[in-house]
Amino acid sequence: MAASPDFLARYADGEVAEMRDVICHLEGAGPTALLTITDMASRKAVANWPLDAVFPAHGRRNELRFGASGRSSGARVVVADRGEILRARDLLPGLTARQKRERFNQGKFIGLSTAALGAVVLGYLYGVPLLAGEIVNFVPPTMEKQLGDTVAAQMQKALSQNGGFQVCDPDPNSVANLAINRFANAALKGTGTPFAADVTVIRTSIPNAFALPGGKAFYFSGLLDHTQTADEFAGVLAHEMGHVVHRDGMQQLISTASTGLLIGFILGDMTGLSVAGTLGTTLVDTRFSRDAERNADRFAVETATKLKFQPIGLANLLERVAADDKFSEAMAFLSTHPLTIERRAALEALRPSDDTALQPAFTDSEWQAIKSMCGSPAGSSKSVAPGTTIDAVPAPSPDLNPSGPSDNERQRDKSAARS
Amino acid sequence: MAQGSMASRDGLVRFAADRGELLGIVVRGYLGMLPTLGLYRFWMVTGKRRFYWSHTEIDGDALEYTGNARQLLIGFLLAVVLFLPVYGLFFFLSTQAPEFVLAGYGVLGVILWFLIGYAIYRTRDFKLSRTLWRGIRFDQKGSAMGYALRRFGWSVLMVLTAGLIYPFMAGNLWSYRYRNTWFGDRQFGFTGSWKTIAGPYYAIYGAATAISMAAGADLIVRKDYVMVKDSLIPNWPIWLAGTALFFLIYFGVYFYRAREISRMFSSIVIGDCAVTVVVRGRDMFAQFMLYSAALSGAMTTFITLFGIIIAGILAPILAKGGTPHTADLARVVQGSVLNFIVLLLGYLALLATFAILAEVVLGFGYWKLVARNATITGIDSLKSVRAGPEDQSLVGEGIASALNLGAY
Repeated sequence: MAASPDFLARYADGEVAEMRDVICHLEGAGPTALLTITDMASRKAVANWPLDAVFPAHGRRNELRFGASGRSSGARVVVADRGEILRARDLLPGLTARQKRERFNQGKFIGLSTAALGAVVLGYLYGVPLLAGEIVNFVPPTMEKQLGDTVAAQMQKALSQNGGFQVCDPDPNSVANLAINRFANAALKGTGTPFAADVTVIRTSIPNAFALPGGKAFYFSGLLDHTQTADEFAGVLAHEMGHVVHRDGMQQLISTASTGLLIGFILGDMTGLSVAGTLGTTLVDTRFSRDAERNADRFAVETATKLKFQPIGLANLLERVAADDKFSEAMAFLSTHPLTIERRAALEALRPSDDTALQPAFTDSEWQAIKSMCGSPAGSSKSVAPGTTIDAVPAPSPDLNPSGPSDNERQRDKSAARS
Repeated sequence: MAQGSMASRDGLVRFAADRGELLGIVVRGYLGMLPTLGLYRFWMVTGKRRFYWSHTEIDGDALEYTGNARQLLIGFLLAVVLFLPVYGLFFFLSTQAPEFVLAGYGVLGVILWFLIGYAIYRTRDFKLSRTLWRGIRFDQKGSAMGYALRRFGWSVLMVLTAGLIYPFMAGNLWSYRYRNTWFGDRQFGFTGSWKTIAGPYYAIYGAATAISMAAGADLIVRKDYVMVKDSLIPNWPIWLAGTALFFLIYFGVYFYRAREISRMFSSIVIGDCAVTVVVRGRDMFAQFMLYSAALSGAMTTFITLFGIIIAGILAPILAKGGTPHTADLARVVQGSVLNFIVLLLGYLALLATFAILAEVVLGFGYWKLVARNATITGIDSLKSVRAGPEDQSLVGEGIASALNLGAY
């Protein structure tokens, strides 16, 4: 026997709650070697562990702790002294190797599960917009209609608290309302949408307009004050009808719900209530709705071509509102809308080259009736409070907020419009 | 085994650990969460538990945490599957009529509140069944559902009685937890009841109520108002009372918590041995002061850094004589992907810093305070404890992970 190859340790047999001082030494060599554990007090062997059954357990840094498979699961040898640890490691080289192997396996496991999660995230980022578009086809139009009614009711409540939700012209058969809904339904005609347009102009200083799932759309008097021509008004309405046709509100609802699920998974908070979760959801969802806005813009241009009015009015109005509202520009990266400048470029690119045969979307008398339906001053001198174009209401597809499509996308739009 | 050594010997609890080591574990943990999309948190939690357990020695022998991260991850995945229907319900509700939505969220809130109790118990079970001391495993029996029901029922009573029932609730829940805790084949017991903490609790409760009532009654009877600018406000007695109430609660909390912890932990018995914990209020208070200092330090650093960055962005604009605007900041963020990533990382760093401080200062401090002030009398009686039946059926903490619970 070499000079003191044994080491001193504490030992628990895993059967009784007692630890004793022991001396461990190796008997034999190779795969059949045994670690013999001898009680220091009684000098009796208390256990024999086959060397290849020994596995490392987790202790603090300056401590070596191991058990043996096939023995009681709580059985442990604990080596605390530095010198003894060195001797034990010498005697049990398999232990160190096993520790390294385990660390490697843990690393591999982390890597694999991260890769799996990464695949889910990527699949999600590219798949959900597509999937939402598909899933939405399985949502019955009546359900979507009902959802729109619910949101409208919620919005009504929210606005009522801030000084009232007033329909500008409650008479459905007034010149203005008839003209608006005639136009909106003309925009929807031939698109195969199951929804009928239902546009309401309401009195509130917020310069916004938006569509709800199921055909309901709202135009705020705050925006009407900024609207100078019939074609601007028509452009916005056509854009909103684009959301109705594409069922964007419903799609967005579906993707928001699944984004919440994904972010919750990553952050480990399935309740999705944490701040980080909310921010994450917003950031990811921004991606989706910018696409939706671009498509709604395209629908507006197509409608303008179909009904023969000037589509660029939409861009003019957007710029006018944005100029009054630096704040929304500042918030643009969190906003759901492409930047105004970029939207103008896209609209310009889409519009047909010959605009000689164009005529306004509304007759003069209709437009006058619309413009005065809220009884607000003709001028648009009204100042806009910062941040007002960022939706004040829980609407699934808010509008007219600036932010942008990529260059090649614009390029694609251009070629699509030309063909 | 040997009857001779059964003489009542005290076992001391030692916690000899270094905050720096824990700091390393959590910092590494949060950094690791970046490339792993958050998955590393299960390894971080495991690392933290190994740290606390392995540095806690009872009568000379350290605890060992035998759980691993994989179990936590699998438990989390199971909980996600369990949560999907709830999530679907949330989604469905959001599409319904407003009155229905409100009622639905209420019901879901109640379910969630109930599930938290369930999760607390499961977490405890997970931790105990993976704790080894002298080769013997701890365990939690009883039913998580039963515990959740009790906790839920008590919390309803808490609301109904404006908190007066608290000592009864605490006594009952502590008792349920400990009577179902096992060390090997030996069952824990709990000798405390509502009376254990009734004194300090009702003293503070009573004092706070007396101050508010006296001040309120005084105001009603004497109508002692003064005119400030254009509005009538109550005169100084009510402000004095408010200040007194604030200090009573602010300081009272630490001293109350210290009493509660000491008395409740000291009500735990394991067969012939008993736990004694003496935590002093001023030590609790000192811990919290340390935390406040660390927090303000971190906040100052962040605000300074943020200010420097903003100044760096706006300085060129000011130099040109322009008026800086929030839009300029947004433009920088949008300007490049790199800027955006830096912003996002900054935000995550802020969140992580708060979590790390809470862990390294408060969590560590609390563990240290309890462990170092604990004694186990008659510890030799534990020598006759034998291993209980194997129970490794628990997969993970599941719902607890999904609900974002489980500090240690």
